[in-house]
Amino acid sequence: MIDSFPFDEWSEDIAAFWTFGPGNSTGTYVLTVLGILVMVAAFVGFVWLENRKLQAQAELLRAAGGIPAPGGVPPGPGPSQPPLAGPSTHPGE
Amino acid sequence: MASLLAQATQIEDQLGLDSAILAEQFYFYTVVVMWLIHIGFMAYEGGASRRKNVMSTAMKNILTIAVVTPSFYYFGWYIYGCFQHGGPAEGHAGPAEFPGFCGATAPWSDAMGPNLQDHISAVFFLAFLLFSWTTGSIMSGAVIERIRLSAYLILTMLLGSAVWIMDAAWGWSSGGWLVTRFGFHDSIASLVVHGVAGAFALGVLLNLGPRIGKYDRAGLARTFRGHNTHLTLMGLMLIFTGFYGFYAACLVIQSTIQPGWLNIYLSPTTLGAIAFVITVGFAGGFTGGWFASKGDPFWTLSGGLAGVISVSAGADVYHPSLAYILAISGGMLAVWSGLWIERKLRVDDAVGAVAVHGVCGFYGVLLVGIFAGGFPTGVNNVETSLGGQVMGMLAFFPLAFLPGYIVSWVLKYFNLLRVPPEVELEGLDMAEFQADFFPEFERVPETIVLPSGEEVESAPVLLEAFADVNGRSASAERRMS
Repeated sequence: MIDSFPFDEWSEDIAAFWTFGPGNSTGTYVLTVLGILVMVAAFVGFVWLENRKLQAQAELLRAAGGIPAPGGVPPGPGPSQPPLAGPSTHPGE
Repeated sequence: MASLLAQATQIEDQLGLDSAILAEQFYFYTVVVMWLIHIGFMAYEGGASRRKNVMSTAMKNILTIAVVTPSFYYFGWYIYGCFQHGGPAEGHAGPAEFPGFCGATAPWSDAMGPNLQDHISAVFFLAFLLFSWTTGSIMSGAVIERIRLSAYLILTMLLGSAVWIMDAAWGWSSGGWLVTRFGFHDSIASLVVHGVAGAFALGVLLNLGPRIGKYDRAGLARTFRGHNTHLTLMGLMLIFTGFYGFYAACLVIQSTIQPGWLNIYLSPTTLGAIAFVITVGFAGGFTGGWFASKGDPFWTLSGGLAGVISVSAGADVYHPSLAYILAISGGMLAVWSGLWIERKLRVDDAVGAVAVHGVCGFYGVLLVGIFAGGFPTGVNNVETSLGGQVMGMLAFFPLAFLPGYIVSWVLKYFNLLRVPPEVELEGLDMAEFQADFFPEFERVPETIVLPSGEEVESAPVLLEAFADVNGRSASAERRMS
């Protein structure tokens, strides 16, 4: 029965369909440009957000009146920014 | 007669379709197997990092995929298709008029999306994308525990989607100028993936500097204790497993013509030949690494990786016995060069990536010039030679080292390369994620191994080193003001 399906017709119909049009068309040029813009924005976001986090933590540590004892401080009592959104990774919270 | 001809045509069409679908499935599953390389990198580097940096280390590996994938789709694949002659291919009259394979690599082409007539382009692209992740990830381990995540992402995007793929266009394609003019032969990417990533990482490390406390005031190297060596070794074993997918994906299926397989230069080979060499390469590399390091577990396994990298360039032509011997030498070279880089060059490469991938990648290409000279490489049958291999090395070292050095220098200039020293001392996970990722495990004091071999609590050592770093920063600020 499967051989009786009109694959050729379907293939032609499906091949003609592509979100925003087939290759080398205005639609694919626009999508490409949009994708590149989003990618660049993501890079800027990575830099900006991380810089904010690092500077905030460094300020907290300086304001705490000393430098952290490396490797010996449990995460709870030490200076810390507010936890990230989502399930807590701090025991007891 | 007409009926027979019609039947023959039908059979021919069917064979063509079967062959295309076979190739499509083959590359798809190499991609699945190659994911193991990235699971492995994450485990390997996570285990090598101290407890306070575990998640920031792992996040680098995960987000490598997030940044290299789009940048390779938009730019990297086009570089591979269109820069094989050195500069961009001629004929760029308009975006729809790129010539030949170059045209199929533009992100808006009909080969770069759903296409019922094309079974190959998408999976071939994906296989190369996985090579790009791998290349970007090689640098990842070298820079752990002090680089900013965002700086790493910029650098890995550059390495994975521009630098390595440019050298692949030049020396790892049938039309690359190094191949067609000099017979450059690096069939399973000793240099074009590993060597280049190692050279790029070296450029970054020179600007990044060592972790706080890595060297004492006399310049002697201390050793940090990774929080889970077993995890590191398991990661390496996963990388090795994924390497079989990597090796297989480096071949081209041509199932309608004997022997059915071609290397990346379209010279005939077999899957069995390269499987021979990779397996024997691990055996030799483990052996060399074990003896050179006197049984150190980290270097024994890294020796396996180095052994394979050393024989990859000639994996399609080496006899297994030759590969075994050469891989032993590669495993030993990785250990010796790694210790030299750490102790004499005073470059803090946390996982020995420059030695294992960089030094052995270049070594592997040199070995082909010595042991496989005269092999007719590529569609032009240009004989491989020592001179041609050296030509490739001379072209690729600056191509890799300079972008890594220059871009990391720029990031350093804007204070975007390295985390603040306080954050480094406390551990990156608290600043990045506000969490310890082993919350139910009791904390024990972190230790460090002194140059004398004595293992001591790290806090006093690191605090003293921190004071030195801060002193230097303060005096630099005074000079600036």
